[in-house]
Amino acid sequence: MSFREKSAWITLLTVLACFGVYYGSIVTGRVSARGFDTLHLLALCVVGLVALQVTLTVIAAVTTPKDGRAPRDEREKLIQWRSHTIGYYVLVVLVLGLFIPGHLGHTVIDMMNFALLDVVLATLVVAVAQIVMFRRGA
Amino acid sequence: MTPKGLPIVNQIRRLRFEHGEMTQSELAEKIGMTRQTVAAIEAGKYSPSLEAAFRIAHVFGAGLDAVFQWEE
Repeated sequence: MSFREKSAWITLLTVLACFGVYYGSIVTGRVSARGFDTLHLLALCVVGLVALQVTLTVIAAVTTPKDGRAPRDEREKLIQWRSHTIGYYVLVVLVLGLFIPGHLGHTVIDMMNFALLDVVLATLVVAVAQIVMFRRGA
Repeated sequence: MTPKGLPIVNQIRRLRFEHGEMTQSELAEKIGMTRQTVAAIEAGKYSPSLEAAFRIAHVFGAGLDAVFQWEE
């Protein structure tokens, strides 16, 4: 597995884990969606995400030293471009969908959580698209 | 036809064998690509750019048409 594919897996798993904890805690009512607890949990999840990604990326670079140092080749650039294009359209659709909770009278904090969820989902789509393209060959 | 249906076939596998059983990693290093990209080109899953195609042909000391062919 190439370093770039490992990076895509790292993004997928770390984002799923960290924001899974965040949104899971809100949905199950462990933290109030409108309290400071949520803000603290979000900060903790973002710090955890960064720490996990840095650690795992270093491990991936150590296990594939040549790939880790080399710039993206043309196929990897194509995969990056295609996956980000898909992610962009997903993000646009999800952002347009924000009018639904807005119309239902959700608070500003709820709306911020929905907007953040849109970014998280678009990031996951980019990572999944990259993994699929790396697995398929192009 | 390649597995993806592209009308381009290549002789990279044969040429690697004829050049001292060159590995995909060795070829990848010579043309500045990853082994996975060379494997994808060889399997016909990815069509390289013209520049990359020329680089591959140059490694084997062959013309472009000796490495890649258009097959209807």
